[in-house]
Amino acid sequence: MQIDAAKCVGCGQCRPFCTMGVIQYTRNLKGTKVHCYVAEDECVDCGICYRAKVCPTDALNQPIHGWPRSIRGTFSNPLAEHKETRVPGRGTEEMKTNDITARYKRGYAGMAAEMGRPGTGSRLRDAEKVFKALAKLGVEFETNNPLTGLLIDKQTGEMNPEVLNEKVLSAIIEMIVPLDQVISVLGTMEQVAQEIDTVFSIDLVARVDEDLSVPTAKIMAENNKWISMNGKTNLGLGRLQVKGAAAQ
Amino acid sequence: MSHTLHRRGTEENLQQDYVVFAMTAKGFNEVNSKHALKDFLRILAKYDNTVNLGDMKTGGQYLVSREQIIENVQDTSIVHAVFTDREQVKAALKELKEAELGVSVIVSGIVEHVQEACQGAGIDRHTVEYSVGIRGKLAKLPEDEILEITTMCGHGMVSQHLVRQMVLDVKRGRRSSKEAGELLATPCVCGVFNPRRAQALLDELVELWCFDEI
Repeated sequence: MQIDAAKCVGCGQCRPFCTMGVIQYTRNLKGTKVHCYVAEDECVDCGICYRAKVCPTDALNQPIHGWPRSIRGTFSNPLAEHKETRVPGRGTEEMKTNDITARYKRGYAGMAAEMGRPGTGSRLRDAEKVFKALAKLGVEFETNNPLTGLLIDKQTGEMNPEVLNEKVLSAIIEMIVPLDQVISVLGTMEQVAQEIDTVFSIDLVARVDEDLSVPTAKIMAENNKWISMNGKTNLGLGRLQVKGAAAQ
Repeated sequence: MSHTLHRRGTEENLQQDYVVFAMTAKGFNEVNSKHALKDFLRILAKYDNTVNLGDMKTGGQYLVSREQIIENVQDTSIVHAVFTDREQVKAALKELKEAELGVSVIVSGIVEHVQEACQGAGIDRHTVEYSVGIRGKLAKLPEDEILEITTMCGHGMVSQHLVRQMVLDVKRGRRSSKEAGELLATPCVCGVFNPRRAQALLDELVELWCFDEI
């Protein structure tokens, strides 16, 4: 995002909307006029300051960036599509359609590190550190995830070096692991977390057992690991034949 | 992985916050699914307890009208409604089951409460996802009280700085906490932000906090 210094009147109404807090005040070279500017290297191109429509002089401008800067917007603006990887959104359908896709089968868990969430943003070099640590465990990264598309070696977790300095609001490292590896993967995440300059949120998915209990909840309890009381439940109401679809 | 998974809070305030949403699966049942997804929203919109409704393709109800949101639903939409009452969630789930729309339905909220609602509606849950918390440089995070509000938009579109501005605005009488909660819902294009819960949380912060600067 950029701000046209000639148009900006320095009212600052866009500043609180900035997800990264990187819209600052400054003065022109003569020191005669105050205006706002965006610290562009810290900006993730989420576009929310522009979409908030609070600028009285239409001074905000989202340039169309080329590679690799272009990935900031595609990972940070939920309205953008991933042209590089041709996968929309930051992650995948994951458990949301598991009742149809059977992505997560009994005996396995879905795990993810949501880099930069909540609200801190992440350089992709930090994502690479997490990728590399997890790759050593031999986990299989989710193929349809747009971040996986930026790996040049899925065995080592090495990312395309061109993107490492790019900063995004969030990007998700997704994988499926056998249930008996959940704790070791979590341990690796916790270890590599000490080496990064951002935060990540951790997700843990499982198909429920036949008695409707959640196997991952049991594993976490047995190992004295914390999980939130809050979560997401797929109700299993999906069908291959959607009502009204065949009639069209 | 999820735009609704990592909502933070206490049991007391999270029990006023349930997101019921639906989508179809690419390559499986997506084609011509928009009609069922529209029906899903129409069913949920009837409940007077829904405080937000939205679809990323169009926006949330604090950006556009509910009618526009429903009219513009596409096969690739993910459609959402936010509830503040468990009993209404249970009733809505029962109605959704009877409607047999065939779309995948997901509920974000306190997992045990959602399970109780499923049992009440005669639904066997299929898959559960938990938040395992935050790791890394935690010093970069804002205060927990701010996170309780900002994490209601999992895409991170609601800035901590906007929350602070709203606390200050309410304190100074520039807007009510209800108006502030609804303004905070506007950056969330999916319509999963709960403005009612935000209002309650802002009311607490206005009493407790002061700022030297934003």
